[in-house]
Amino acid sequence: MTRVVSPLPAPARLVKRKKRGGIIGETSGDHVGRSGLQAFFGALPFITPSFVGVTLFLVIPVIALFVISLLNYNLLSPATVAGFENYANIFRFDDAAHSLGVTVYYVLLNIPLQTIVALAMAVILNSKRRGMGIYRVLFVAPYLSTPVATAVIWYWVFDPKLGVVNALLSDVGITGPQWLSSSHWAMPVVAAVNIWQYVGYNMLFFLAGLQAIPKQLYEAAALDGAGPFKQFFRISLPLLNSTMLFVLVTGVIGSFQVFDTLYVLTQGGPGNSTEVLNLKVYQVAFVDFRLGEAAAMSVLLFGVILIFSIGQFLFFKNRTTYEYSA
Amino acid sequence: MTSRALGARAAATVRAVSAPRTGLSTGGRAVRIGLLYLILTVIALVFMVPYLLTLFAALKPIGQIFSEPAWVPPKSLYLSNFRYDFVSGDFLRYLANTALVTVALTLGQVIFSIMGAYAFARLHFPGRDKIFWLYLLTLMVPNAVTIIPLYTMMRMAHLLNTYWAIFLPYVLGAPYTIFLMRQFFRNIPQEVIDAARIDGCSEWRILARIIVPLSKPVIVTATLIAFVFGWNNFLWPLIVTNSQSHYVLTIGLANFQSNMNSQWNYSLAASVITLFPLGVIFAVFQRHIIRSISITQIR
Repeated sequence: MTRVVSPLPAPARLVKRKKRGGIIGETSGDHVGRSGLQAFFGALPFITPSFVGVTLFLVIPVIALFVISLLNYNLLSPATVAGFENYANIFRFDDAAHSLGVTVYYVLLNIPLQTIVALAMAVILNSKRRGMGIYRVLFVAPYLSTPVATAVIWYWVFDPKLGVVNALLSDVGITGPQWLSSSHWAMPVVAAVNIWQYVGYNMLFFLAGLQAIPKQLYEAAALDGAGPFKQFFRISLPLLNSTMLFVLVTGVIGSFQVFDTLYVLTQGGPGNSTEVLNLKVYQVAFVDFRLGEAAAMSVLLFGVILIFSIGQFLFFKNRTTYEYSA
Repeated sequence: MTSRALGARAAATVRAVSAPRTGLSTGGRAVRIGLLYLILTVIALVFMVPYLLTLFAALKPIGQIFSEPAWVPPKSLYLSNFRYDFVSGDFLRYLANTALVTVALTLGQVIFSIMGAYAFARLHFPGRDKIFWLYLLTLMVPNAVTIIPLYTMMRMAHLLNTYWAIFLPYVLGAPYTIFLMRQFFRNIPQEVIDAARIDGCSEWRILARIIVPLSKPVIVTATLIAFVFGWNNFLWPLIVTNSQSHYVLTIGLANFQSNMNSQWNYSLAASVITLFPLGVIFAVFQRHIIRSISITQIR
């Protein structure tokens, strides 16, 4: 297939996007003149496996979660109705408020820094110079690495006695802290490890977004006397709006569910200083076998994730979205 | 004056005007480019050094790990740590378990997602859009939230401590993958499909012979997502397995780490074992992987 390239650059125009085409979009025309029933049975074999999967492993579990959260359920004796007692108990006895606070603290340590670094890296890699592809590949490698395995590695790197970090610090005359055994440093270390793991992945989306911005816009801005910083804040950043939303929402959802890294690095300690909600859910459910309370905590986690996601959608919806059209 | 000369003069003027704006002589430019590569190389080191040091440590006896700095390369190819992990540490079994479960998960998820996406993209049937909305709604369900109900289901079905339990919840297709594939399948020209129908092709044949070959990028993406997810999965196998015979690598590694406390030679070698297959896949498919990740964004 050949692509016809217009010899003249099309005039650049920024069009305010009014409304997104629905996510489903218009239907493509296919079978004409088939009865509904016949079509239904024709499609049945295609749709059945995934429909069973979605229903059995996603829809029913969500409903079941709410039901379990209203039960006294310990796997040994038959479940009894507890009503909303579990919700009260997780705050009274399991310090769910503390876990919620720790989780939010982790998200705040993680997301802003990760997003800014990812964006900066994308801007640097967006320059059309030799060798950028190699750097891009290297930055993405941690994203595909097994979190449990990289956590073991970082545990060693941050080991107060044997670790590379403190060895380097002592070379310049600084006595490094106890890192993961210090309630002050443990969470920042965990956040740093997760930033290391995911920043390259987010960088890719920003890079794709930057590369989709037409060069003419920058050329026009340069002619009008806009420097690189002005160009970034007035052109790149507004045009990355939808990328930003995607990166932030997926990042926040993922951060709220952090588990693997923490399980290896801190187990919630020292004390309970890194005991995030997902870790607490695991302990209450599968160490204490109090599934009712754990389910109530899961509902809490679900609710918080939803609130944060909706909040971000509303924030970005109120900002103007631009779309380039030629 | 010829038009060419005019053009040259205009170009010269533009250069003269734009040069002060960038404000950099050739020397300054070189410094700037040098700085760019320096920054990138420092970042790249931060990204790669942990892997390199781990490989070094995995190839050293414990005495050397304690006595010399981590950045000193191993003097000889010392493989005892790996031998210990595979034989005494049971990592050969964990590796086989992980491979089995991950391959099953990947094959099922990709095939069933292709089938579902085809129906949503290319077939008309009553209730189609309603069902698709249900799939999209489930995208909002965080993984962590379904763990407890899924565990009780597996327990009731007497599937705890089986390979089935580890991959069953993910093997019948993933809504996210179906969504991505559907977008891709919808862009295949209708004429191609109509021509095949006129030639008497069944829907299955159209899917296998036309749609799938034309959709390689999105299928590779889906395969990678499923494989990496399956290989790295930790919380779910941790909950549904409690006997060593069914452990996957992540579980074996986490247990190893807490039992072996400061025997870093063994646990770092175990990390290398866990990461090595992913590293091979990454090295082989790197270009494809980069492209795949970029197309997973829902806009």
